Amino acid sequence: MKDRVYEILFIADPNLGEPEVDALAAHVQGYVEKEGGRIQKLEKWGKKRLAYAVGKHREGSYVLLVVEGSGGLVKEVERRIRVTDGVFKFMTVRVDEELRKAERRKARRGVEDEKRRARPTTTTRPFEPAEPEGVQQ
Amino acid sequence: MSFGFGGGPRGAGGRSASRTGAAGKAGAKEAGKRYFFRRRKVCKFCADKIDYIDYKDVKLLSAFVPERGKVLPRRMFGTCAAHQRTLTLAIKRARNIALLPFAAD
Repeated sequence: MKDRVYEILFIADPNLGEPEVDALAAHVQGYVEKEGGRIQKLEKWGKKRLAYAVGKHREGSYVLLVVEGSGGLVKEVERRIRVTDGVFKFMTVRVDEELRKAERRKARRGVEDEKRRARPTTTTRPFEPAEPEGVQQ
Repeated sequence: MSFGFGGGPRGAGGRSASRTGAAGKAGAKEAGKRYFFRRRKVCKFCADKIDYIDYKDVKLLSAFVPERGKVLPRRMFGTCAAHQRTLTLAIKRARNIALLPFAAD
């Protein structure tokens, strides 16, 4: 079966320094690779204010991983993240289907734009030669 | 300068006739509403050709979420039905990971 694409976004303790967050990210990356997944992207957003308090935290360091793999991989990675110290919130979202849909919409719009461009915008009609006389003979 | 272009469509006889017809109809409608004229809202996502509403794009989402953190009905922003659905989903995802509030305190 074709692999799915997931976005794993987790929030690490804001008291951790940059190298510690890097280490955490590497850990999670390790979990994914151990389960046979591929990392598409790793993004560190740095410290951000949370929209609401999570436990006693008011801010956190966001790390985003875009991962290719199976559903089983997500199950295992999530279990491991849950027992990882320093991560207090995480979320996994499957995105491949939605991105594919978006891609299709984009392609369709491209075609429609093409059609619109091909359509003449001026009101002048193409030149039509007059009917030659004597056709009905 | 732009006045120069006005002459074009007016010159075409058939077209101007159909235009007056449409204007007449619109006039009748306005008489019904009478008191206020509202600008027609256009779906921002259609206009800007945003195909995928990303839950990570807080800047975009927060434009559609008031201070209180509510998801507002479609009529407030004029989003089309399809985009409102994806927008709602994106907002809910963003809430889950503390990018947007469930309810402001």
